[in-house]
Amino acid sequence: MKTIVITGASSGIGLETARILTRKGFNVLGIGHSEVNCNRAKGSILSENPDADITYFLADLMQQREVIRVADEITLCLNQKSNGKLHALINNAGCVRSWYMTTEEGYEQQFALNHLAGFLLTYKLLPALKKAHGRVIMTGSESHKGIRVHWDDVMLRRRYNPLTAYKQSKLCNLLFAKGLNDRYATAAIRAYVVDPGLVKTGIGNKETGWLVNFIWTLRKRGGVQPEVPAETYAFLCERETVPDGLYYYLCKKKNYSKQVTSENADRLFKLSERLCGIEYENEIAHDRKVRAK
Amino acid sequence: MNVMITGAAGGLGRALANECGSRGFNLFLTDVNEDGLLSIKLGLERQFNVTVTTKSCDLTNAESVDKMLAIIDKYGIRFDMLLNIAGLDFEGEFIGRDREKLVKIVMLNNAATLRITHAIIKRRRPGKHFTIVFVSSLASMFPMPLKATYAASKRFLLDFAASLRQELKKEDVNVLALCPGGMVTTQETLCSIKAQGFWGNVTTNPLEDVARNTIDRALAGRSIYVPGIPNRLLSFFGKIMPRSWVAAVVYWRWNNAQSKWLNHN
Repeated sequence: MKTIVITGASSGIGLETARILTRKGFNVLGIGHSEVNCNRAKGSILSENPDADITYFLADLMQQREVIRVADEITLCLNQKSNGKLHALINNAGCVRSWYMTTEEGYEQQFALNHLAGFLLTYKLLPALKKAHGRVIMTGSESHKGIRVHWDDVMLRRRYNPLTAYKQSKLCNLLFAKGLNDRYATAAIRAYVVDPGLVKTGIGNKETGWLVNFIWTLRKRGGVQPEVPAETYAFLCERETVPDGLYYYLCKKKNYSKQVTSENADRLFKLSERLCGIEYENEIAHDRKVRAK
Repeated sequence: MNVMITGAAGGLGRALANECGSRGFNLFLTDVNEDGLLSIKLGLERQFNVTVTTKSCDLTNAESVDKMLAIIDKYGIRFDMLLNIAGLDFEGEFIGRDREKLVKIVMLNNAATLRITHAIIKRRRPGKHFTIVFVSSLASMFPMPLKATYAASKRFLLDFAASLRQELKKEDVNVLALCPGGMVTTQETLCSIKAQGFWGNVTTNPLEDVARNTIDRALAGRSIYVPGIPNRLLSFFGKIMPRSWVAAVVYWRWNNAQSKWLNHN
């Protein structure tokens, strides 16, 4: 049975994706940060489908030592359950903030959770992904368009705007996926970003101020149920032939920002490697040569 | 420039450490939370090319402080700036709170702050300008029923900062008292600010701006920094209104906000 890891799997899009993937017979390892929500999510999935193979891990992915701890636990679990193979990693956990708030490392929280957590978790699970020629899927957003990465002040300390921080973190998701594809095409790992569209979830109502809360409550009224984008994740996980493309919406390829270039991806990799204290193997030069041929 | 920050693993401490790091200052960080110190040290070293030294320490314990000072002396570290961030806050009626927790507010906010300030002034870099920042609060401007101990402890720091500034002028030392309103540092502070409704939002200051302006003003030789125009207006009214009136108004307001906040939790 193929195993899939989903972060932010205890509510919203992550929960529905976990539900649909267990229904299709995948073994799902979910990560959530609230024990109550994880138990509720597990109960809800099992009540519908008592045979679902679902396990939850608790971790606050905002903190890097928590990412490392849960990655080690998952690796152990993969070794026991699926010969150390990971078919897909869905970096879905994300947040919206109204104010500049920092993690224990002093990193801005939206950048830390929406981008760095996935960057570090993917690095830690890369050996398992390589074994299965796995897929890495990020939850992106159309809001990644119309912005560039503020390289000189990536945490936006000088002029913090919560929306800018969010948009930038979503652009980083695309750059990360692009960078992964540049590096690991020969290892048969493919990375994608899913645009879920406007979805009725609680993302804008968690730990936000009245303005963001109010706007999100109004906005999400026009949104779709989380089951809709969950289909796109299932599509990318299920397809036998590896889908090409980078950015998907409703199971179809979509255009993305012109900022998503290999050059910017390399720059983001260097910066993120430094901020996480890691180094992805440098297969990039080799890969590009192969593709050029 | 060598800077010591106490309470460096908390929200404001981390923001100030980031601000100092981005200016290329070398940092000596202390906090009771050892894991938090290691995390922020990693974060700072990865972001900025600065030297970061950490030592966990309970500032309310003289022995623990002496151990830290022994390390500072062993390596001959001398400082150009001290940021006294470590502090505690409990809300609620005086008589309804745990006695020892109340005493701890004064032990940390006041007694421990005096202890570390005295020790670090003695370890300033000889012949160089020295800067001290005390984190007081907007709460120091008024008598605050239901936050009585906290507000009084912050008043202590405000007055102490003004006096110490005068005493040390001739020694080329500047002392700044920072008096912020609320700042969103944790989920808990966010809930508490929400419970205060309109006034909570108006008096809340962006953390990153407070951090940047505090260092700017401290280095420019200012004596007090009240962030935000609404807070400056409130502190002005606090000065001209009779104190018994202020206490009555504050009591009325906090009573509402706190019952909302307690219900929310």
